[in-house]
Amino acid sequence: MFEKILIANRGEIALRIHRACREMGIQTVAVHSTADSDAMHVRLADESVCIGPPSPRESYLNIAAILSAASITGVDAIHPGVGFLSENAAFAEIVEEHGFTFIGPSQEHIRVMGDKVSAKQQAIALGIPVVPGSEGAITNDVEALRVAKEIGYPVLVKASAGGGGRGMKVAEDANHLSEALAMCRNEARVSFGDDRVYLEKFLAHPRHIEIQVLGDQHGNVVHFGERDCSLQRRHQKVLEEAPSPVLNSKARNSICKLVTDALRKIKYASCGTIEFLYENNEFYFIEMNTRLQVEHPVTEMITGIDLVREQLQVAAGAPLEFTQMDIEFTGHAIECRITAEHPETFAPSPGRITDYHAPGGLGVRVDSALYSGYQVPPYYDSLISKLIVFGTTRNEAIMRLHRSLDEYVIGGIETTIPLHQKLVRDPTFIDGSYDINWLESWLENGPAHG
Amino acid sequence: MAKFTVDSELVRTLADLLTETGLTEVEITDGDKTVRVARHGHPVAASRSSTDTHVDTTGTVETGAMPAPTVDADHPGTLVSPMVGTAFLSLQPGADPFVRAGDRVNEGQTLLIIEAMKVMNPIAAVRSGVVRSILVEDGQPVEFGESLMVIE
Repeated sequence: MFEKILIANRGEIALRIHRACREMGIQTVAVHSTADSDAMHVRLADESVCIGPPSPRESYLNIAAILSAASITGVDAIHPGVGFLSENAAFAEIVEEHGFTFIGPSQEHIRVMGDKVSAKQQAIALGIPVVPGSEGAITNDVEALRVAKEIGYPVLVKASAGGGGRGMKVAEDANHLSEALAMCRNEARVSFGDDRVYLEKFLAHPRHIEIQVLGDQHGNVVHFGERDCSLQRRHQKVLEEAPSPVLNSKARNSICKLVTDALRKIKYASCGTIEFLYENNEFYFIEMNTRLQVEHPVTEMITGIDLVREQLQVAAGAPLEFTQMDIEFTGHAIECRITAEHPETFAPSPGRITDYHAPGGLGVRVDSALYSGYQVPPYYDSLISKLIVFGTTRNEAIMRLHRSLDEYVIGGIETTIPLHQKLVRDPTFIDGSYDINWLESWLENGPAHG
Repeated sequence: MAKFTVDSELVRTLADLLTETGLTEVEITDGDKTVRVARHGHPVAASRSSTDTHVDTTGTVETGAMPAPTVDADHPGTLVSPMVGTAFLSLQPGADPFVRAGDRVNEGQTLLIIEAMKVMNPIAAVRSGVVRSILVEDGQPVEFGESLMVIE
């Protein structure tokens, strides 16, 4: 097992990694920007190295500085956390080249899954269902009509160079296809300088359901079930739950088996998450994240497994200590992502935390690096806390969520706690009948509607 | 840093001593306290508790100024590290260091090297001055923003 690990990240995830290391007797090195000198994980780590000024490019994305810090502290491995360099294949490669273990999958797997086009092709090759669409870019309207008829309306015209939800136009039927093509091409030319478009089946009311997997370096791959992350605002997850309120065990077992068989074929080793859109009982692959995910705690709560610990074990070459049969799912877990934003306008609210009181009690977990007096810096993403609850049933989890959200005090800045308090009392949420578009229309129309 | 009272009588006596004798620097130690008074372009007088017992006098000539209690590392002339790595004070082990305390340096002159990822990065003086103190040892790991030297 590693003796010393460098945590190449910040905030609550860096603290999460530090905690797993500490419990395994592994020494930690926290690298940080000048803005994070007083961060909780920096204070708790065995060693810390300031690697740059606040800007991410000069600190958390600064590969040379991170490697230099790893050299001078003599670590065995580097954990990239989430975001930043965690899915940067070049970083994984250079880390290994310098004699450190990169805690994650191979740089080849990171590379293939990091590119949306190659990931989709890989998924198809492995028999994972994908969103039906054109093979490549559409060159003329005649071809478009033919492909659209094949995949079925409504279709989505998408810019090849687009992303983040931009550069997409829906065509309800054949009559509207030419117009959608022209509009999308124009927008793409103006926004991305590239007017290539392709077609995909448009899913009107999908849910976002993702499967957590873990592979070791000996060819074993297991799954830990799904998470439902359909509550999103601008493609950012706001609340996640495990298991999904809509999947029955037949659907779950079927997709999980498909996914683990596929990953076993490519010998995937580390944590990973396959993300799907789910509509009308069909799964459609959208992407694979070759890293730990922010919402991993809900999976930990229903399985009792420490996913970061497992990542470290696998990276150190140990075989999995359990088989699929040993993994049991109990109860229900829900996570609220609490951000330093105004609960209605979402205006960013960095600043100094005055009073801080985290909720507690049975089945309540808070993953946060906040403390009274801490200065939330303005340079990074706004996630400041994850409130996770566990209950033996979904109803129990929801009641626990009401109770713990009401107890949680984060003074001195605006947070989205009031938003979550309203959200978890909404009938559609309680029903579990939301889809990926629901939260945004709920926010727009006000909690009374939605 | 802990503040402790400065014996202004003592400092005045030492300053007078400088004027009388034409020396530019006087340092005395009493127990675990050291007071150094020097004549420079900026106000300075390091009051620090340390186990230093030497009396430091140098022969360089500068214009005088009233001393004030500050800590070396917070001095405006402090050179901070622009990167993470290992500080080397000479080109190779055993060779003469690039600079010593008291040396006059010119803008652009190499003061030390920081090695990062097997690349040697020379760190140059941003302006001319005199090396007041060297705050790192040869071969010491340094982080971004760490104080390396004080130049005035």
